[in-house]
Amino acid sequence: MDIVVGISDIKCSSKNEDVLVTYALGSCIAVAVHDPVAGVAGLLHFMLPDSTLDQSKAAQAPAMFADTGIPLLFKSCYQLGAEKRRMTVKVAGGASILNDTDYFRIGKKNITAMRKIFWRNNVLIGAEDTGLNFNRTVRLSVADGKCLVKVSNGTLKEI
Amino acid sequence: MVEKILQSIRKLPAFPASIQKVSDLLRDDDYSTQELVKVIQYDQAITANIMKMSNSAYFGSRQKIRTIHEAVVFLGRRHLQSAVFTAGASRFFQASKGGYVDKGKALWEHSVAVAVMSQILSRHLRQREDQELYTAALMHDIGKLILGEFVQDAYEKIQIQMERRSCSFLEAEEEILGINHAELGGRIADQWNFPPAIRDGIAFHHRPDLLDDEDSIAGLIYLSDQFCLMAGIDGGLDGLAHRGIGSVMKQFQLREVDLERNLIVLLDELDKAADVLQLVN
Repeated sequence: MDIVVGISDIKCSSKNEDVLVTYALGSCIAVAVHDPVAGVAGLLHFMLPDSTLDQSKAAQAPAMFADTGIPLLFKSCYQLGAEKRRMTVKVAGGASILNDTDYFRIGKKNITAMRKIFWRNNVLIGAEDTGLNFNRTVRLSVADGKCLVKVSNGTLKEI
Repeated sequence: MVEKILQSIRKLPAFPASIQKVSDLLRDDDYSTQELVKVIQYDQAITANIMKMSNSAYFGSRQKIRTIHEAVVFLGRRHLQSAVFTAGASRFFQASKGGYVDKGKALWEHSVAVAVMSQILSRHLRQREDQELYTAALMHDIGKLILGEFVQDAYEKIQIQMERRSCSFLEAEEEILGINHAELGGRIADQWNFPPAIRDGIAFHHRPDLLDDEDSIAGLIYLSDQFCLMAGIDGGLDGLAHRGIGSVMKQFQLREVDLERNLIVLLDELDKAADVLQLVN
């Protein structure tokens, strides 16, 4: 079954038949994690880099920000039996508009914030499709952790 | 090609006359509710949509609105213009056959999001809502609907052009079609007798810097559009392939952190506007 992950949302599943889907990433980023042994997958769609922008919002909707969403994604997967050492991480999104000036950098800031969090926590990003100016849709299958990225120009690729 | 496209505008159905009438009536400070109800009721589709919208959280109703009379009183001068406009404009998106735009519904969601964002910015920058800005923001991509119906095969060429020349979507449209969707939208606005301020807002929504008018609403529509694209609410196939124009942010003295904060507000307001989004299936 397709389980849709909205903007600022996290979904996890341990059901083999489930596929986690998130549409229209824009400058937002999808973080897709999978534990092949436990058969657990999780998908986060965060919008902004840093929860210090609005901490009451972060308390209410932690998946909105990279720094509160990514830890919650991992914890939610642990609850279903996943273990950090077995988990693969794939990311997509973080697009920017063309020749973005200093004013429109949300996509780049999201990518930087996410990398820092993974680096600090000794997590390797296994595969990614980030940046440029495409809108992306991500599908993550629980059964095998297969991660498909569909780009606004119509191309479909596995990362 | 451009001749064919411009001719196709003439085949467009007229903009609902009742909306024009409502605008005219509202211009009178001492407008008659009775008369407004009569004009609105004449158009069944608009009436049905107004009922749905006046009960949506976006317009803030706490009690159930049961009649069009109640709706007119409840929406009042502050919201009636934008509500009636939204109710009437949705039919053009409903009829879209796809092709160049992905789906009419997706473009509708983008258009409503840009209209909602335009009011967030207007409140932030000018401490007021602005119905003219709302209208222009809602209709800013109307040119895409026309292109969608008449030039379905041009999209692939535009895509190739963007990749080969690494140009913006707008520039690729100009090369391949001879006109971009914003300018085409401006021509449609003219045909529908929209006021010049709304027409310019639509026609220059990607290049407000080319319009020699500091008071124009084009800059705010441009920003609202870019913010929605960044949030992924794009409604088309152009993704984020548009030029960033920093001078517009400067003109409104907006900082990046304002952009981020306003995106949070946008998500909250779109949740409330769910009934408005559902006017097009």
